Amino acid sequence: MTSPRRVAVAVAWLGALILVALVVQRRLVVVNDLRSFMPPAQTTAQKLLLDQIGDGPASRLLLLAISGAAPERLAALSRELAASLHGDARFTQVLDGQTDLSALDPKLLPYRYLLAPTLDHAAFDAPYLHEQLQQRVADLGSPGAELLKPLLASDPTLETLALAQRWTPAHTPQLRDGVWFSPGGAALLLVQTQAAGFDPAAQRIAIDALEAAYAGLPGASGARLEISGPGYFSVLVSARTRSEAEWLSAFGTIGFALLLVLAYRSAGVLGLVALPIASGAVAGLAATALVFHSVHGITLAFGFTLLGVAQEYPIRVFSHRRAGATVHDSLAAVWPLLRLAIVSACIAYLAFYASGVTGLQQLAWFTIVGLLVAGAATRWLLPLAMPAQFVDVAASAWLERARAALNALPRPRWLPWAALVLALALLWIAPPPFWQNDLAALTPVPPALLQREGELRGALGAPDIRYLLVLDAADDEQVLALSEHIDPQVDKWKEAGIVDDVELPSRYLPSLATQRARQAKLPDRAALETALAAAQDDLPFQPGLFAPFIDDVEKARALPPLTPQAFAASALGSRLQAMLTQRDGRSVALATLSGVHDADRLGAAVAALAESGAGVSLLDLKAASESLVASYRERIGQALVVALLLLAAAVAIAFRDVRRAWHVIAPMSLATLLALAVLRASGVSLSLFHLVALTLAAGLGLHYALFFERRTDDAAEERRTLHATLVCVGSALLVFGLLATSSTPVLRAIGLTVALGVGFHFCLSTQMARRRPDDEGHDVEEKDVQGI
Amino acid sequence: MLIPALLAASPAPPSAPTPETSALIARLARPAPSDTAFTEVRFVSVLKQPLLLQGELHYGGDGELGKRVDRPYRETTTISAGKVAVQRAGKPAQHFSLERAPELQALLAAFSALLGGDAATLARYYAIETVQDGAHFRLTLTPRGEDLARHLRTVVVDGNGNEPQCFSLQQADGDSSIMLLGALAAKVPTEAPTRAALAELCRTGTP
Repeated sequence: MTSPRRVAVAVAWLGALILVALVVQRRLVVVNDLRSFMPPAQTTAQKLLLDQIGDGPASRLLLLAISGAAPERLAALSRELAASLHGDARFTQVLDGQTDLSALDPKLLPYRYLLAPTLDHAAFDAPYLHEQLQQRVADLGSPGAELLKPLLASDPTLETLALAQRWTPAHTPQLRDGVWFSPGGAALLLVQTQAAGFDPAAQRIAIDALEAAYAGLPGASGARLEISGPGYFSVLVSARTRSEAEWLSAFGTIGFALLLVLAYRSAGVLGLVALPIASGAVAGLAATALVFHSVHGITLAFGFTLLGVAQEYPIRVFSHRRAGATVHDSLAAVWPLLRLAIVSACIAYLAFYASGVTGLQQLAWFTIVGLLVAGAATRWLLPLAMPAQFVDVAASAWLERARAALNALPRPRWLPWAALVLALALLWIAPPPFWQNDLAALTPVPPALLQREGELRGALGAPDIRYLLVLDAADDEQVLALSEHIDPQVDKWKEAGIVDDVELPSRYLPSLATQRARQAKLPDRAALETALAAAQDDLPFQPGLFAPFIDDVEKARALPPLTPQAFAASALGSRLQAMLTQRDGRSVALATLSGVHDADRLGAAVAALAESGAGVSLLDLKAASESLVASYRERIGQALVVALLLLAAAVAIAFRDVRRAWHVIAPMSLATLLALAVLRASGVSLSLFHLVALTLAAGLGLHYALFFERRTDDAAEERRTLHATLVCVGSALLVFGLLATSSTPVLRAIGLTVALGVGFHFCLSTQMARRRPDDEGHDVEEKDVQGI
Repeated sequence: MLIPALLAASPAPPSAPTPETSALIARLARPAPSDTAFTEVRFVSVLKQPLLLQGELHYGGDGELGKRVDRPYRETTTISAGKVAVQRAGKPAQHFSLERAPELQALLAAFSALLGGDAATLARYYAIETVQDGAHFRLTLTPRGEDLARHLRTVVVDGNGNEPQCFSLQQADGDSSIMLLGALAAKVPTEAPTRAALAELCRTGTP
């Protein structure tokens, strides 16, 4: 083909890729919902956990502090910010101290006699009312008289105050000019986002909106808005990780390009080398979008990592071009082996598909389609676009020297066994823990920010994000009854300093049974009038003053007890509604805790309650999510073992020779083990990211071993194999070695693991996979690998 | 503790009192700690007759105030650092924070500013009018802040020489109270005192 036609093919290819990518981008829903990334939940607690991971109300809270100006300015900014965020659908709740959540909805005022606990231990008879009214006289003589006067006529027993006291959280910030202030003099706000805490993209949108709203306030530049909370951290950390990954990859790409130009002495190669892998990635995305409704961001990240193997395909094709042969002829010599590598890797990834975890199935589907398409593109499309001019790398003198040097290396047969013993010994002595289950530890939040978050959370009395008290019963009524049952115990925990506060649902709404019992104790109109007349006989109240009280009690006697559904219309009712959820036909309440001072004692106290028959449990979100990560990792581990077996079987079947298959599989397995051992011995606890990185390295190692193992008596072809392998190893070491220098643990984990793995794979392949000069009797014809 | 916090919280622009007013208020400063007997008469619309309280006021300096009622019932109220504690005979002590009652907070802040002889703070909360008639003086305080003005119309302080003797509060809802201190406290008629009689007592020192 003529050169312009080749360029036209390359351009058309690229254009088609961009087009498909655009279509896919519109269709593919990328979620950051950890749930699709977790194994299916088995128990109610696990299901709850999956609901709560990052989606719990506590993790959706953003803590805001406005500081750096005069208090009245800060208070005004706080009020204006709250006003501009109210009604924004991205924020479900904006609190700055202005709304008094503890106030009973005026529409529900007659319900105060059913909601307040007064009638549990008192009756509205003459002695009780007399005692109460005496207190009211004293109240009128006290400094607080002005607060009392509006209540007196309708509520002489002060039920509304009793409720306010009951509903006020244990810790609220101090108020100045009607808004919350920290002891340090900053105005405080509490904002709940619509978006889940774990979703950095959605949190980014919410935080941008928040910052824009603040910047739009008059005089905002004179003060400083500080945002804290889990959602903010997820944005911060993902942005930091991304920016570091981006500039490290930029360096890596430049280095890779230089390496290619150096290796092939052609700039045309540069554009072409990326096309197969890009085709694979786009096809993988399209296939995933077609089959799955949505795909998790982490699954995609893992998929792109694993697809990195496909970068080798075009390099093998370029390095193996022979002088004097057509592209197709030189390709035909390496294609069977490349095809074996691709097909066996795909068979291995089928193990991931069988795991039953949605995230792993997506990963497998993406990777298999990606590898197949990248391979096909390398075989059938790439040759059409390859430049006619090229340098046969076999002609390089340095390559012959390198080949000779490699052949001259001693290859003691005991070396692999020594390496195996060393690896096992390193694994044995490595410091525990073996696994790092806390994914957050891989993307750590700066300690100063965490400390500040703790301060703000304490100042705002915001709930703990780690612990939840779970109340489980047959229906809402039973849950509320259970909540009332454990209420005295919870008070004891608070007195003992185990926890500052537990937001029990019965604090807001008593069970229907309790409400009915209180209702039954309300006197009828005549009885109340008589008792009241007797009670105020010697007191100076105006006659007829308490008529509104008598009316309200009469109303309360006829009210249908308040259900959570009816209560939901009020601010507190909606809060209660959010606490109650339905699970498998049962009702479950999640009570937030604040100020957990002694988690061990709290756990023991809850366990003691549960033992006595109460359906309560303490949900430790951190421990539970770690156990889920552990079980996910276990499944990846199992899938990897099955994958290795499938791979070995595929290679053995293709070769129809166990011994040759052994020469390929043994160095790959041993190198993986060595990389693992070195990581562990240097104190690294392994995570999912390490496992995926090891898998990528193993995929690359498979290529090194397969090509080194290839039988050919042609020294020039051996040089081409060595050239391709050196380019592959060099580029992998360059790109992943750069990542290994990152300050972000997750990038370092991937970079270090792949670089280490690639190094070991290369060394062991040269030692174990290549034919020994003395290794006779295994001359092989190419058709041996045609079978697959 | 309380005063600086309230100073910061006051929305009203500070307005400097006249030098005469400042001098008068500075003279009124009470030594801390000091205790004074009081008789307070409250005219409250929900009650058929005035409420008459007798007891002792305590000023501890730095915003710390105490009010002990001896008759007709026993009650001790202490206010310190924005927290109020009320102790009644045979009842557990009740605690509440002034944060939720800004109007009460402002009133108490002004009261302790007066006891501290701090004219500048007083002027933050109130427009001050001074009338001096021989040894007798009268300060009329009109609240500046909306929160306070919603409940309180005026505070009138009558006194003699450098000693405040009467605090008269006129509430916005028509209720009022007059508190007489020291020697005047003993001169209040215990049977059906009228507003006019008490005002006269405050003005002239004799019933």
